[in-house]
Amino acid sequence: MINIQGLSFYYNDSKEPALDNINLNINVGEFVGVIGPTGAGKSTLTLCFNGVIPHFQRGDFYGEVKVDDKDTVETDCARLAYSVGSVFQDPEAQIVSSIVEDEIAFGLENLNIPREEISTRIKESLEMTGISDLRHSSTTQLSGGQKQRVAIASAIALRPKVLVLDEPTSELDPQGSQDIFNILKRLNDVYKITIIVVEQKIQLLTEYCNRLVVMNKGTIILDGPIRTVLGKQEILEKIGVHCSPVTHLVYMLKKQGLYQGELPINVEESYILLNNVLRGIKDGV
Amino acid sequence: MIEINNLSYQYNNGSKVLKNININIKSGEFVAIIGQNGSGKTTLMKHLNGLLKATDGKITVCGMDASKTKTSILASKIGFLFQNPDHQIFCSNVFDEIAFGLKNLEVPRSDIESLVNEAAIKVGIEMYMHTDPFSLSKGQRQRVALASVLAMGTEVLVLDEPTTGQDYSEGLEIMEIVKELNLQGITIIMVTHDMELVALYAKRVIIIKDGTVLEDGPTEEILAKEESLALSCLKPPQIYSLAKKFHKQGFFKDSYTVEDMFDEIICYLEGERDASNG
Repeated sequence: MINIQGLSFYYNDSKEPALDNINLNINVGEFVGVIGPTGAGKSTLTLCFNGVIPHFQRGDFYGEVKVDDKDTVETDCARLAYSVGSVFQDPEAQIVSSIVEDEIAFGLENLNIPREEISTRIKESLEMTGISDLRHSSTTQLSGGQKQRVAIASAIALRPKVLVLDEPTSELDPQGSQDIFNILKRLNDVYKITIIVVEQKIQLLTEYCNRLVVMNKGTIILDGPIRTVLGKQEILEKIGVHCSPVTHLVYMLKKQGLYQGELPINVEESYILLNNVLRGIKDGV
Repeated sequence: MIEINNLSYQYNNGSKVLKNININIKSGEFVAIIGQNGSGKTTLMKHLNGLLKATDGKITVCGMDASKTKTSILASKIGFLFQNPDHQIFCSNVFDEIAFGLKNLEVPRSDIESLVNEAAIKVGIEMYMHTDPFSLSKGQRQRVALASVLAMGTEVLVLDEPTTGQDYSEGLEIMEIVKELNLQGITIIMVTHDMELVALYAKRVIIIKDGTVLEDGPTEEILAKEESLALSCLKPPQIYSLAKKFHKQGFFKDSYTVEDMFDEIICYLEGERDASNG
């Protein structure tokens, strides 16, 4: 689905690369989390998936990025939009219409989708994001979480195969953040949309993603199944990425030799394995 | 230090954002104000330095009636650190930025330099005095904003979402500075969604829901109120949720951090080992 080889990118007038020799392959149906300290290049990378880099952001671009078999240098953003949906951190910056229905229709109209089809797709994407009741609502009166759902609905109305999100929950409260990830899980499980989400909320990435990519200073320093990557806590701590508390607790027990199984990704798993540890049983979940 | 009595605030169109709020905060406290988006937390905070004036009720800050005192005077007692530090930084170098408030308060020139340096050292940015603040990282810009506020001798620090939009270590850096300031006697009021932060730093928690106070008490007590937290779209910190599952078995009743739980597990297993060997 996504094949990146030797990708480097320098913003205009910058001597330091924002991305430095990135190699990354993402398969259909994956739910990938991307984390790393500020300035690691995460947002820059997301702009390479949808073609904003190199088509709209000036700089020096090296290497190759292919999304759904389309080379992002040779394919314009409009064509890439059929394959890649993008949702950014600030929904205010993306929402242009005053009514939810019009907002979702906007992208579809721009791509000349037939009228009858537009109506179907609006209904569909509202259902997929759980906001059918907001179809005729004013976008200015929505809560932060609702606005984020509208932004996601607009992106998926184009039926992309990949949805790329850059910190979609940074302004949301804990329940609102979880609601967004539940929607992403549904899009991934039921509709088989490949999800790539940049987040700082490690607890959410741990619970929902099946793969974690860790970036630092423009490079990918770790990339693998979530439990494996979380196991490399010394590397993560060194770059300032902190694991979710329950995972960290079990990691400490593992280091002490009191536990030998896989790291847990949530409270339920931690509870089961901790019960075993207290009974002197060291193996898995 | 801060007395809020029956405070209400409503917009011109009549919608009441805050209703009959009663809160007393004493000098030296570390209080977290939590609640879902739109609950009124930030609106409440803006009353503390006079940015908003109550439509009913009274706020007294450091002995001054907030509705009758100029914002500029209140601002020297209560310092605000906004969620986005760029909203409060505008000078072209760090020194001028920190000195700005002092100049406005007509502090003698001879005193300004030492006050600025002192504030910069407190937050660890003394090496950036001649740097353009906008070339610094977000965490560093937050520290510049913090130094600007500290330089004015603030007694109360209000933080609005201090760790949002930052990576973990940047967030930790600013919180450790804030913790140290609290130990030195500065009252801290922190508005946040981050429950892990609340568990690690706050001694008292106030939940605001629909413009009123839903809960107000010591951190451990409020973290146990799952229903109230759920009503506010909040969740207890993850470690607390895990610890709670073991309470019936007698474990982790006072453990609220990873370190606490780890220590208790080690102690217990060593005890079991000694008992079976003995």
